This record gives sequence, structure tokens and C-alpha cells, in this order.
Amino acid sequence: MHTIRLAGGPAFGCADGDTVLRAGLREGLGLSYECNVGSCGVCKFELVEGAVEDLRPDAPGLSERDRRKGRRLACQSRPTADCVVSMRLDDAVRPPVRPQQRTAVLEAVRPLTQDMSEFTVRTDGAADFLPGQYALLHLSGLGAPRAYSMANTANPEGIWQFIVRRVPNGAGTAALFAMTPGAALSLDAPYGQAYLRPSGRDVVCVAGGSGLAPMLSIARAFAEGPADDRRLTLYYGARTARDVCGAAELAALPGFGTRIRYVPAVSDPDDGFAGRRGFIHTVMAEDLGRRFDNCDIYCAGPPPMTLALEDLLIREAGIPADRLRFDRFF
Amino acid sequence: MLYLCEVTDVAEGASKRIDLPERPPLAVFHLPTGIFVTDDTCTHGLASLSEGEIDDGAVECPWHQGAFDIATGKPCGAPCTIPLRTHRVVVSDGKVFLEE
Ligand SMILES: Cc1cc2nc3c(=O)[nH]c(=O)nc-3n(C[C@H](O)[C@H](O)[C@H](O)COP(=O)(O)OP(=O)(O)OC[C@H]3O[C@@H](n4cnc5c(N)ncnc54)[C@H](O)[C@@H]3O)c2cc1C
Ligand code: FES
Ligand code: FES
Repeated sequence: MHTIRLAGGPAFGCADGDTVLRAGLREGLGLSYECNVGSCGVCKFELVEGAVEDLRPDAPGLSERDRRKGRRLACQSRPTADCVVSMRLDDAVRPPVRPQQRTAVLEAVRPLTQDMSEFTVRTDGAADFLPGQYALLHLSGLGAPRAYSMANTANPEGIWQFIVRRVPNGAGTAALFAMTPGAALSLDAPYGQAYLRPSGRDVVCVAGGSGLAPMLSIARAFAEGPADDRRLTLYYGARTARDVCGAAELAALPGFGTRIRYVPAVSDPDDGFAGRRGFIHTVMAEDLGRRFDNCDIYCAGPPPMTLALEDLLIREAGIPADRLRFDRFF
Repeated sequence: MLYLCEVTDVAEGASKRIDLPERPPLAVFHLPTGIFVTDDTCTHGLASLSEGEIDDGAVECPWHQGAFDIATGKPCGAPCTIPLRTHRVVVSDGKVFLEE
């Protein structure tokens, strides 16, 4: 156990093996972050005193300039001594539920498409998270945890569901798809800022490929909520017709067909898909008639998709930045 | 052309925020290579770039230290991914104008 003190702020304990970021979040501190895996560059800090081990020295989240200036990533820094760090606190990003490390057991695996499966995991104690958040899964044989978003909603039984796309030559997904029910893993959750916020506006969910899980979680929470006159539409973008999924899960929700809609689209022009064609952000914009003023937009998927949405909604349409929420899937 | 400020209002290596009615705030940068004007608000969050550090032709956002190339607006440091809008300037008689 080491002690981390924020320069001019509070001090907190960091368990052996934990990172500066996660130790702070476990204490409920408003530390900025997004991905937890060294890619987004949001969790930068400066080490004033002490020593840390850098878990990912080539992390894409730091530029040459950042390194030259001695900046580090809190999500990739593991203290090896008591530390003083310079990091900004922001009340707006205080974790609504404090993350905890738990042991878990894989209960079931259900294939959804040619390369996506649903994994159901159980922990002792409640599954406590907000719709749209993610967990870090520590899989045996892997040096670093992987981030996966929950597809279900919080429950006292300790059930966590994930929808994972198998990545060619991916070490994490290879380990996960090789697991069979009964296997043990460790689950650290919840994380992420792109969770469903209460509002009087309609909800638009945009998912691309592996981004289905958090959007499904948001749709499920919306369906469980009050049956008011707000609407939710989930746009799902896939490459080919064989990759489309989520229809059955959406159709099972109360309010489907009235308050809740599902709009899939396929981007491969040579595919025989009977539904809509094109990139999902374009399909969404057309379907909404480019009127984004009365909705909150959530999205999840590969970085080029979130970038295209940011460009379309914030730069072109000028919607307020807090109406678009996402965690990029690096 | 829209008057922004005097060249002498912005020391070399420094920047200044300009608020004009009915438009997003602007940042005027004085680099060794000239005067440049961009939007002042970071495209990642809502931080003011004129409060950021200028380093070798780039401005670093004071919030998450993302960076943009000042002359082109291109993001050059995570977490910034959306380009920053740049504006054409005319310097005349020691005054900085926005070319419209
Ligand atoms: C917030 C978030 C939520 C996500 N949710 C989902 C989801 O719901 N479903 C889904 O299918 N995918 C999701 N992903 C993507 C997922 O985390 C993996 O990147 C993906 O499954 C590929 O992993 P891999 O190990 O098979 O591939 P690899 O190519 O082996 O690894 C890719 C990723 O692993 C991480 N990584 C690799 N090496 C290191 C290292 N040394 N230190 C730290 N991290 C490392 C990095 O994130 C890297 O991008 C999410 C990603 C993020 C950031
Ligand atoms: S780089 Fe640390 S949270 Fe993304
Ligand atoms: S607000 Fe500028 S880098 Fe985040």
C-alpha cells in the first residue's frame, strides 16, 4: 500500500498493483479519464515526488511533447513508493459509483454473429453500474486488462453481460473466446462517463460493430424507466448483413415499436442487405432529418465512427458538447 | 474585415482571447512566423486555448494538454481529434483584422 497525495489536495491510499487513476476513483475523486488503457490521453498528470512504474511505455495517449515535458498517464502508472502528483480535480467527473475489483466466474457464452458473442459473468454481491459504463476484465495470461462495456443493467444478483467482437490476432479476445463456463476471471468496475443521464429529451443511440453492448444497456434502462412520451432509437451500423445484431434484444423490450425503435444499416455497398445502406452516422442524420435539437446522443464503437459523429454533430450541427456522450473503443 | 486587436496587445510567444458579439470566442497567437487566429475553445472539452502553453508552433490545452498546430488547426496531441477552426488574418498598420 502506498499513499498518493494530490499537490494542494487530498491524499489517498493505493493498493499494491493498482494504478494512480483507479486508486483515486475508488476514493470517489473526480479524476479525468476515458479509456483506462493508455490510448485516449485524458488522464495525464505530472509526478512531483516519489516513483511509479510505467505499465505501457509506448502508450498512444502520450505525444513526444508530453513525454519531453515529463507527463505521464495515470491509468498506466503504478506507484512503487509514496507519491505526490499534480492532477486536476473536476467535480463533474466524480465517479457516480466507485469502482471495485471483484472475482468473477464465466457463466455462459452465447454466439450472436459470426464473430460476436455475449458473455455472462457472475460476481458475489450486486452488479452495481450505470447503463453505458464498462468494466476492466483481467484475463489469465494477459499483462494488461481489457475494457468491455456492460450490455445489461444493474442487478442485485451480480450478473454482468458483455458483447465482444473477436479481433483477428487480438490477444484479449483470443483469451476470452477460449474460456468456457466455470472459468475464473477478475472484474474491475464500473468505469466510463458515457452513461445514461436523466433528461426530458429523446434518446438516440448509435452503435458501430463491437459498440452494441453499452447502447443496449442504455436501451434496456430506458425501457425499464417510466413509460413517458420520450422515444429512443438505436442505430446499429455493421459492415455486412451477417454482422447485423441487436434486433432480437431490442424487440424483447417493453415499448418496442412504439417508444423504442431499432434501425440497422450496412456499409458494404456490394452486400445483399435489404435495409438501409451507408455509414451509420449518415443514416442516423438522415433518419432524424438532421434535427438534433431535442435529443441526447450516445454512441459507442470504433474511433473513426465516434470521430465522424463528433464532426457531424459538434462541428457541423453545433449541438452543445454535453448532448453527445461516448467512450471511444480503442 | 473585422478589427480584433493591436499587434502590440499580444507579445511574441503569447496569445490573447477576443470575444466578439454573436460569434464563438477567438484566440490570437503571436508566433515568430506571424500572427494566427483560431477558435479559442478546445474541440475536446470547453477549455480556453488562449490560456494554454505555446510550444513550438503548437498550443497545448490547459485542461488535458491535448494540442493543436496553431497555423493549420490540426490536432497534434491526444485527446484532441477534431481539428480546430483557423481564421484568415490581415495585419495592417500594427492592427490585426479577421478577413471575412
Ligand atoms: C471504454 C472501452 C469499452 C470497450 N467496450 C467493448 C465492448 O463492449 N465490446 C468489444 O468487443 N470491445 C470493446 N472494447 C475494445 C476492447 O477493449 C479491446 O480493445 C478489443 O477487444 C481488442 O482486444 P484484443 O486484446 O483482442 O486485441 P489486442 O490487439 O491484443 O489489444 C488491443 C487493445 O488492448 C489494450 N492493450 C494492449 N496492450 C496493452 C498494454 N500493454 N497495456 C494496456 N493496454 C493494452 C489496448 O486497449 C489495445 O487497443 C472497448 C474498449 C474501450 C476502451
Ligand atoms: S489514457 Fe488513461 S484514461 Fe485513456
Ligand atoms: S478540453 Fe482541451 S484537451 Fe480536453
